[in-house]
Formats: sequence, C-alpha cells, structure tokens
Amino acid sequence: MAWTSLIFAGLCEMFGVLMINRLHHKRDWSSFILLTIGFGMSFILLAYAMRTIPMGTAYAVWTGIGASGGAVLGMILYNEPKDWKRILFVAMIISATIGLKLVS
Amino acid sequence: MNSTLRFFVWSMNLEVAVMNVHWIKVFVAALFEILWVIGLTHAYDVWTWAGTVLAIVISFYLLIMAGKTLPVGTVYAVFVGIGTAGTVVSEIIFFGEAFQLSKILLILLLLAGVIGLKLVTEDKVEEGADS
Repeated sequence: MAWTSLIFAGLCEMFGVLMINRLHHKRDWSSFILLTIGFGMSFILLAYAMRTIPMGTAYAVWTGIGASGGAVLGMILYNEPKDWKRILFVAMIISATIGLKLVS
Repeated sequence: MNSTLRFFVWSMNLEVAVMNVHWIKVFVAALFEILWVIGLTHAYDVWTWAGTVLAIVISFYLLIMAGKTLPVGTVYAVFVGIGTAGTVVSEIIFFGEAFQLSKILLILLLLAGVIGLKLVTEDKVEEGADS
C-alpha cells in the first residue's frame, strides 16, 4: 500500500510538472487548479508513504519517478530525442526503484 | 593600462560574485528541500505542518529563481543530489535509521540515473530555448 501510494505520488508530481508547462503555454485557470491538485495530492501521498517507507528511500524513488516519467512523457508527447543514453538512465532509475522495493 | 587591467579584474570578480549568489540559492533551496522531506515524515502538529508547507514553498521558489539565470539541468542535478544525500544522511544521523549498504548503493544508482537524465536533457532544452 505504501509503495503504491509512493508510485502514485511520483505520477502526481509528473502530472503537476506537465500542468506547469501547460500553464506557460495557455495561461488559464484550469491549468493552475490542476497543477495545485497534482502537487497537493503528490505531497499527501508521499507523506502517507513515508509513514512506513524510510524517508531517504521514499524521497529518492519519488524524484526518480518524476524525472523518468517526465523523460518518457517528453519522448511520447513532445517527440523529444529517444537516444540510448536517456533510455539507459530511465532503466537505471526503474531498476534501482525495483531493487529498493525488494531490499526494504 | 593598469586601470584597464584593474577594471577587468574587478568585473571578473563581480561576475563570479553574481554567479555565486545564484548558486547559493540552489544550495539554500536544497537545504529547504531536506527540511520539508523531514517535515513530511515527522511533522506532528499544526505548526510543524505549517513549517513543512513553508519549506516546500521556499524551496520551489529559490529553485525557480536560480533556474532563470543558471542552466536548469545542472541546477536540478545539483539540487536533487544534495536533497537525496541530505535526506539519507540525516535519517541515519538524526532519526536512527539503520545503515544498509544495499539500500545506499541502490539510491546512488537511482540518483545517477536522475542526474544523468537531467544533464543529457539540458542540451536539448537549451537549444530549444535559443531557437
């Protein structure tokens, strides 16, 4: 449950960042409200996950999901370069996350 | 000649000083990042929660301000590096979390992935901003 909520916290953060980008382009209230909800949910879920998962692990996984999710979204939505280095880094983050889940 | 040289040295110092101010923002932002992560785990009443929210706001604000003048990818890489190292070290030193080598190594692997991703992405973003 804690790990599920941690992963959703990372996804919410990713969504929040996506809404920041939308706010820069559209400058509308709906982007602003959605980004507030996204980051709000992200922090609430992270706080919940941190009741059981050690703080350092939870924080690292949370930023990892945000960063790798952002890169994958960029590749899918904005046609950002899919070079091997970026894919390698995403793979490193995902395997480290799985490893942390296994050793904790 | 002498005065020209002196002006050159002075302006170089000014340049370094200005850059340092922005980098100090990154370090202070990372410090507040560590504080809110601790807060999120250990806050127990209205005041500690208010402090946590305030730390989140200060951290984000300083990071965004620093990103306006310094390369964003590098800023984020340094920021997230200090943030992760700081939370891991402080949970071991202040909150009695056990030192587990496999966990530390995996966090380092994850951190390398995040920093690598941010530094690789930076080139593209900067080109995009210029064009």
